[in-house]
Amino acid sequence: MDTTQTNEIEKHKRTQHYEVLRELGDCYTSVGNYSQAQRCYEKAASLGPDEPGPYIGLGVAALQRDKLDDAEIAFRVACRLDPKCARAYAGLAMVAQQQRQFPQAFDLYMKSLELDTDSITALLGLFQVSCEMGSFAKVIYYLEVYLEMHPGDSAVMFALAALYQKDGRPEQAKTMLLNLLALEPANRDAANLLEEVEHTLAEVK
Amino acid sequence: MPDFSKTSKEPVASLMLPPTNDRPIAGPLVSVLLPTYNRSRYLAEALASVVRQTYRNLEIFVVRDGGDEVADVVRSFADSRVIFIDRKENRGKPFSLNEALSRARGKYVAYLDDDDMYYPHHVEVLVRALESGTGGGVAYSDLYKTYCQVLPGGSRVVLSKHVEISRDFDRFLMLYFNHVLHVSLMHRRDLLDKTGPYNESLNILIDWDMTRRLAFFCDFQHVPVVTGEFYSPIEECDRISVQRRKDPQEYLRNILAIRTTRPAQPWPKIRDLSIILLVDRVDERTGDTMLHIWRHTFYPYQLYVPLAPSEISRLNVEMPNVEFVPVEPGRGEAERLDAALRKSDGDYVAVVPGNLAVEEMWVEHPLYALNNSTSHEGFFLEGAGPGAGAAVFRRADLERARKAHPHLSLEASLAAAGIPVRAAKEEELPFQFDELLRQAKLAEADGNWRAAGRLFEHMAEHFQNRLWMKVMAARAYFEAGDHVKAGRLSHEANRERAAVDTLLLEAKVHRHKGDFATAIHLLGQAEQLLGGPCSGVAHPERGFCPA
Repeated sequence: MDTTQTNEIEKHKRTQHYEVLRELGDCYTSVGNYSQAQRCYEKAASLGPDEPGPYIGLGVAALQRDKLDDAEIAFRVACRLDPKCARAYAGLAMVAQQQRQFPQAFDLYMKSLELDTDSITALLGLFQVSCEMGSFAKVIYYLEVYLEMHPGDSAVMFALAALYQKDGRPEQAKTMLLNLLALEPANRDAANLLEEVEHTLAEVK
Repeated sequence: MPDFSKTSKEPVASLMLPPTNDRPIAGPLVSVLLPTYNRSRYLAEALASVVRQTYRNLEIFVVRDGGDEVADVVRSFADSRVIFIDRKENRGKPFSLNEALSRARGKYVAYLDDDDMYYPHHVEVLVRALESGTGGGVAYSDLYKTYCQVLPGGSRVVLSKHVEISRDFDRFLMLYFNHVLHVSLMHRRDLLDKTGPYNESLNILIDWDMTRRLAFFCDFQHVPVVTGEFYSPIEECDRISVQRRKDPQEYLRNILAIRTTRPAQPWPKIRDLSIILLVDRVDERTGDTMLHIWRHTFYPYQLYVPLAPSEISRLNVEMPNVEFVPVEPGRGEAERLDAALRKSDGDYVAVVPGNLAVEEMWVEHPLYALNNSTSHEGFFLEGAGPGAGAAVFRRADLERARKAHPHLSLEASLAAAGIPVRAAKEEELPFQFDELLRQAKLAEADGNWRAAGRLFEHMAEHFQNRLWMKVMAARAYFEAGDHVKAGRLSHEANRERAAVDTLLLEAKVHRHKGDFATAIHLLGQAEQLLGGPCSGVAHPERGFCPA
């Protein structure tokens, strides 16, 4: 048995109870039982005081219950425990977004994306905030990079098409939507947006 | 012929029936031995776990082996079944166990350490196994190893619970190393008349010394139900045995004492081995060879050294299980062999030339092959080539060859008697299971989880330890990303015996599928199992569930 495996076993000896509670918290969050989720995350945090995971869970549960102050505190603790935790920055961004502090939310989503270019939460959050702010260049760049790495992600394809349209690039929006509809012919949102895009193109001509 | 691979395949379902309030649990008296030394803070919890057993016909010996005063703790239970031996002097665990055993009246004996605990069905499950008529006389269950953090006040925070040992009985392995936790063990008390008492000269591996000796006399029945837990602090362990194992000399002394212990015969389950060392004169090499035999032989043996009396007097070797056989000076090798053969009485005979390089498994490998062979043949000892005259035989075969051809050399007499000698093949060696386990773990270490999973599954189907291997396979397949197989195997394991690891694994599979309700149910069970002292009862489907 090599050192890596031994270390894994050693780690598991210490973290099993923590892992059960964190998993349970995540499951309760997924079904909307936030009080149970909070109970589990709090116990998990006491067993893994150096782990950011339970604090992110606590932040998400608080956010879902519109307890923005509690959510912010939890995400800040997670950031302190792991300054490279993309999910913690995304959480703080969501809090700022809910507080309609869009420039701050934008910066935090960007920070989250710098730490994890795969973060769909940050990408879509950035998309929403960009729409609110009317500033699209950065988010378009990130969404394009993301799509290169995850071709066929319909949510991102739709968001990018919407941004192209808002940014005055209806041709690119049309191409993106046609690609999306080829993948998902029944996507009503995409079809509606395509109609709008084609209308814009007709007006331009 | 003893079958080293024999394990009890008794269905365990009947052992897992839940106790019911309207069914009085009656049966033979069970003596529970609980020695304690300087762990008064945990003793109450340990003793409470015995007092609350569903099986009521108990006598409970609490033996204070010096150290902390515990009289108040014991008296607080006010239970007439508790017998308190209050000794101020610290004499060690084996002495304490023998002291309690000298007063025990139970048909069966069970053990508990002062910082561990039984679940309420522990005694009931084991008594049922022993009374089920298989006649083994020894049964054992599984335990959680509970990793915990000890807080400054002494309270323990549970970090994880793992069934780290769930191994079916394997006699050959038991001779080599212990695979039965003493706290999970129950045995007939009268077996101690044959094994003898606990060895008070040992200070570590005391438990293995006893289970090894028990293996000479009966089969063990493994009941794969979790019936208790033993604590392991994640930081420096305070267990005396763990501390003493750090002294290599002391460890070796204990190991050798255990391996060379030969309980009084007859041994219904072990065939004795006589080793005949053939040297014509004593030199430095002779003493070395004898010491290597002592150090590297775990199978029970008696060593015979045929030598001229003048040579015997030159040997200064203090080792157990050696008998010198005086022969007239100038006698040849064949005559010395025959003299030792007449003196010895082992069922197997290993003939060892003085220049053989004795190493680990040197005799056990060929001996295992011989034990499972149905032919009249011998097997070369490890490290010996053809013509070296180093091999192991059944006594009857060797005697037949020697009596028929006493004037021939060993090799010539065997050839004349039609007894071939060969090397054991790979597939005839012992510990095949352990070799596969090693390969599977290497595959895991290389990140080849799918190959590891296949190996574990193969082992579950074709070897002992089915449940253990199924759990390992489930984990490996999960790591390989095969959630279908991981889900199926962990589900099967949980139906048989729900344990924290497998509940967590099955829950992850369900969560991955988006089935949060099932995941929550499974994780809830896991949380209950982890959530402290578990008041569990046996369950016909899951083996264990918290009350």
